Amino acid sequence: MNCDETICAIATAPGAGAIAIVRLSGEKSLELCDRVFKCRGKKPSLRPANTLVHGHVVNARGEPMDRALLLVLHGPRSYTGENTAEIQCHGGQVIARRVLEACLDAGGRMAEPGEFTRRAFLNGRMDLLQAEAVQDLIRAESDRAAAMALDQLEGGLSRRIRSVAEQIVRAVAPLEATLDFPDDEIPKISDDEILNPLREAETGIRDLLAAWKEGRILREGVRIVIQGPPNAGKSTLFNRLLGHARAIVSEHPGTTRDTVEESLVMEGVLIRLTDTAGLRETECEIEKEGVRRSRTQGTRADLVLFLLDGSRPPDPNEDKILSELDPEKSLVVVNKADQLHPSRTGVPEGGRRVVISSRTGQGEAEFHKALLEKVLCGARFSGGSGAAISERHRGLLIEAQDEVSSARADLEKSDQALWVICASRLRSALEKLRWITGEEYREDILEQIFSTFCIGK
Amino acid sequence: MKQSYDVIVVGAGHAGCEAALAASRLGAETLLVTLSRKTIARMSCNPSIGGMAKSHIVFELDALGGEMARNADYTGIQFRILNTRKGPAVQANRIQSDKDRYPLRMQTIIARQKKLEVHEGSVGRLIIENGTVRGVEIVGGQSIRSKTVVLACGTFLKGAIYIGDTKIPAGRADETAETEISDQLKECGHGVERLKTGTPPRLHKGSLNYAKMTLQPGETPAPLFSRQARRERMFHVEHSGGDTGGMFHVEQWDPDLRPWPPGIGQIPCFLTHTTARTHEIIAANLKRSALYGGAITGTGVRYCPSIEDKVVKFPDREAHHVFIEPEGRESIRIYPNGTSNSLPEPVQVEMIRSIPGLERASFIRPGYAVEYDFFDPRDLDHSLESKRIRGLFLSGQINGTTGYEEAAGQGFLAGVNAAACAIGTPSLRLSRSEAYLGVLVDDLVTKGTNEPYRMFTSRAEHRLLLRQGNAFSRMLSAASNLQILDPQDIVTMTSDDLTIKSELERLSSVRMAGESLFTILCRPGVRYPDLPGSRRDLAPELVEEIEVSARYNGYIRIERDQVIRAERLERTRIPSDADFFSIHALRRESAEKLSQIRPETLGQAGRISGVTPADIAILSVWLRRNRAATV
Repeated sequence: MNCDETICAIATAPGAGAIAIVRLSGEKSLELCDRVFKCRGKKPSLRPANTLVHGHVVNARGEPMDRALLLVLHGPRSYTGENTAEIQCHGGQVIARRVLEACLDAGGRMAEPGEFTRRAFLNGRMDLLQAEAVQDLIRAESDRAAAMALDQLEGGLSRRIRSVAEQIVRAVAPLEATLDFPDDEIPKISDDEILNPLREAETGIRDLLAAWKEGRILREGVRIVIQGPPNAGKSTLFNRLLGHARAIVSEHPGTTRDTVEESLVMEGVLIRLTDTAGLRETECEIEKEGVRRSRTQGTRADLVLFLLDGSRPPDPNEDKILSELDPEKSLVVVNKADQLHPSRTGVPEGGRRVVISSRTGQGEAEFHKALLEKVLCGARFSGGSGAAISERHRGLLIEAQDEVSSARADLEKSDQALWVICASRLRSALEKLRWITGEEYREDILEQIFSTFCIGK
Repeated sequence: MKQSYDVIVVGAGHAGCEAALAASRLGAETLLVTLSRKTIARMSCNPSIGGMAKSHIVFELDALGGEMARNADYTGIQFRILNTRKGPAVQANRIQSDKDRYPLRMQTIIARQKKLEVHEGSVGRLIIENGTVRGVEIVGGQSIRSKTVVLACGTFLKGAIYIGDTKIPAGRADETAETEISDQLKECGHGVERLKTGTPPRLHKGSLNYAKMTLQPGETPAPLFSRQARRERMFHVEHSGGDTGGMFHVEQWDPDLRPWPPGIGQIPCFLTHTTARTHEIIAANLKRSALYGGAITGTGVRYCPSIEDKVVKFPDREAHHVFIEPEGRESIRIYPNGTSNSLPEPVQVEMIRSIPGLERASFIRPGYAVEYDFFDPRDLDHSLESKRIRGLFLSGQINGTTGYEEAAGQGFLAGVNAAACAIGTPSLRLSRSEAYLGVLVDDLVTKGTNEPYRMFTSRAEHRLLLRQGNAFSRMLSAASNLQILDPQDIVTMTSDDLTIKSELERLSSVRMAGESLFTILCRPGVRYPDLPGSRRDLAPELVEEIEVSARYNGYIRIERDQVIRAERLERTRIPSDADFFSIHALRRESAEKLSQIRPETLGQAGRISGVTPADIAILSVWLRRNRAATV
């Protein structure tokens, strides 16, 4: 990588929009703009920082391509810490693409994935965790996830991990002392002096891991699959949750043959909702495939909404099917409350059921509440506590947890010959925590993090 | 005396002796300058060698060709292994040496060493020409030219002794020194700071009541440091049918080199403790202590605190240990370890007499504190050569360390590297993952120190790899390269190393009841001799190495992996003329730190305090680009 080069990329998301932004960064980025952006008065490289100017983007032959605004930023007071220009052109991929090509023709280089943020990191504009947070912020599809990423950007997670590390250090210090001095040269150290901080560190890591679940839900959303026998009203429920008629509904059992997927946001949580074919034995090859897909979807889901047709008496196999559901990851919903069959009125044994009518909206509030409870079960929404934990963090946290727990277990055996190993384990735990906060340098982590960035940030 | 030498060593303490011996044994014409022949290798403080982590250094020195291990073994009067309950990686040998015999033996070794001369005198100035050292000027005498100089002058640079409110300019009791060396180095850009250290009073052996104390006997068979002393004992055991109690096989009897068979006729130490009365006396007289009265401004040893420190910092403790250590077989002097102080003499007497067993103690000499100059070791590179004055090597206490072993280790390295610089013999640099000596030097030149630096096992990242038992394996390649040791020693070290490796291989390949013998040996309680096919002819230390390798197997592997992972950074070299200020992405404070310390590798740069991972990432990118540009 060469920081002298000017890197360019389209910074706005693909798709139609009012404007698109092409961003350039590098020591010579403003001189490059002199060649592609023509305006009245001073040329871009001579303009003061933080100013906008109106002008034309021109191609290599000097022909104007689009009217645009140019934002001039001077390093180090820019995102990357380098001179930066943002060309705000008209929306749509075609125009933005042509502006980008003009910049490349003028000597710019296409930015690698994550290169803007990598430069920001290398120029000391942000630490490793903040760099990761930027990635999450870009990807965040709901307000809550954005708030969490913002919190990480401000250093919330670093603080929590550091406080766990401090507990471990509190335990390591007396442990190392007993290893470094003969017994008769130091005061006796009680087991609790070492064990108590370790127990606190374990709790700290456990909390962070619980927060991971929350974080993942917020970042990636929850996969909810609607399953059930044919004609139970799955697609009607699907449409009702979405608020528009997305899936085709009819009186005929087996209308939905393939899975249909849509996203929605409920109470700030992103939900990826999948409607599936009704589960039944069938001779129809297409429907068979639909049923197979429906089952696969069920195993991948975070939550299965199992819908029963409340207008009919229970099917002989119903109890067996319901007993096969994972109670943690399923919610049984009795539909058609408006035409409820008498045998469905009592409170059934085993597990909670929600009765709704996806056609009239009866029982909807209670259903939403039950659904959110299920989805968020175990995940504590601590609000602004810095719970944005990525897969990389989680893996390292689990490794650190293993080290701390084994060390604690060995220390409880009060065999001093194990202490040197415990000390070694705790050091390794500390090293892993430092990898998370970036206090320990490992280039492969950098590569891994930066290569997952989308182009433009 | 000649007109010029390859190496001049200034100071004949524990660093200076190893430096002079290493250089002359490598073939360099060497001159050792000391105030007096009689003070060569004097034990100014506690007459003991080894202890936690320091013992590891002594084992490494022995495997490289240093003298300290043999000297301690042959003059030892009590031998112990510390920390046995905490396992082999952190256990350590400690020897109480005879305070008179230890220096005497070293003086004999030095007197008989070829290519090594001793000159009695004081060095007034260094001869420095064009940024290179060219020799020394003796006070009141001539100039002596040399290709290199090793400074090992301990606490003698602007040394001052404090007893209560009395201040005496001296580096050690009754010895004076006048020199401009300190100011010269300062002028050349070396950082100079003050440190302090202290020593307890010495008591008369016959004036103590031992009935009131706890006996601390030595161990038999005596745990020895040196391969030579152990070999002599093995030889004797074989030729006397296993009776270790009697004579040793000795090729040539020489009372100066072998006053008695090592480990024979051990003398016990005793343990007593301070009382509430002791603490009262100290508390009442704190203002009169040089340390607490404010006379001393240097930083003291946190780990071996003065008795004033202990009373002030731990007011809740009712008693502190006091170890009663005899200074020698014939000596009438007792070293009351744990009572180091700088109180006025009458207060010291009152304080000491409040300790059980010392009620009638008579003083031979009061305790005192010494304050002295030391040079910021970050001005040195990994060979201990000055980055400001070429050909000048610094070792021992003047680099901010404390302890005979730390001093001896640096002395040996400085001596080897001074010879390398003067006559082109191999140089010696040890890494953090192969030796405590490597950790010691890297810590000093990378991080510096603001208190007397003492070695601890916790300073090493890879403690399970750096055991005293495998020191000979770890040092084998360096030792073969240097060839200071007798060739026969290298042969036996190589064969011992191979023996352990091949036995471990055999244990892994031979199976019993579906399990490898190695797996069986990993179980608690199983010993190597219990296994079928075990060799009966192995020395106990080799057997122990095999057992330790099995016991710590998983953890040793983890630490090896860590070493391999870190190696890429350790191998990425930073050019010595790198202009850190030209890397504009680097924060200014980081550029300043990097320019001061001039790390040799990216790994070292990462250990500089205040240099962040982001700085290392920037450096790494910059190096890659630079390399691409120069290719």
